[in-house]
Amino acid sequence: PVISLLLLSSSIGWSSDVLTPGCHLYPFNVTIRSDRRGTCKGTHLVYACVGYCESSAFPSRYSVLVASNFTHNITSTSRCCTISKDTKVKVRLDCPQGRHHDEIEILTAKACRCDMCRKSRY
Amino acid sequence: VSTINLRRFIGCAVREFTFLARKPGCGSLHITTDACWGRCETWEKPILEPPFIESYQRVCTYNETRLETVKLPNCQPNVDPTYTYPVALRCDCGVCLTSTTECITSV
Repeated sequence: PVISLLLLSSSIGWSSDVLTPGCHLYPFNVTIRSDRRGTCKGTHLVYACVGYCESSAFPSRYSVLVASNFTHNITSTSRCCTISKDTKVKVRLDCPQGRHHDEIEILTAKACRCDMCRKSRY
Repeated sequence: VSTINLRRFIGCAVREFTFLARKPGCGSLHITTDACWGRCETWEKPILEPPFIESYQRVCTYNETRLETVKLPNCQPNVDPTYTYPVALRCDCGVCLTSTTECITSV
């Protein structure tokens, strides 16, 4: 059967927990349900990367000013907390009456690093 | 910021910054001004739908500025000696605006 997935996670408001510089693994629980009524359900601990990486902004060099037709008078250099290594984990969905089990694969972070703020997501 | 331990600093603050103002046809000038520096919250977390990783990326950048104009020394007669640069009045964690900012991200 095709499973429509709903992801529920309690990941909001984690910022106040990790107030140290750098980029660190951060555990959170993911709950996957097979449908809106939650007929089949599974919960698994996975990792995100959360942190504080250095960034700065300063007046642009003259060459940047010229190249941007004097619109970019600020230059910002930054690094962002990214997942540098990930792996897949299987989440087992338990169904009522124990009739059958489904398994869903999800990603989890294995390592984190202050790295490029990826353009596509920037 | 100077009184705080910068190695442990979290957040985004105004910080003194010195740069060399130069343009063709003029002498250069060292300028010390207020710019922005800090560490903002960023994260990446796995999600079930494509692209399978959701990210939140904010950088320390200017929130409020005023423009300062100086005269560069020893300019050739046909060259405008003025040089204008932004001074940070307030810095904040925010999205890097490509309309006003040269956004550079480094490894």
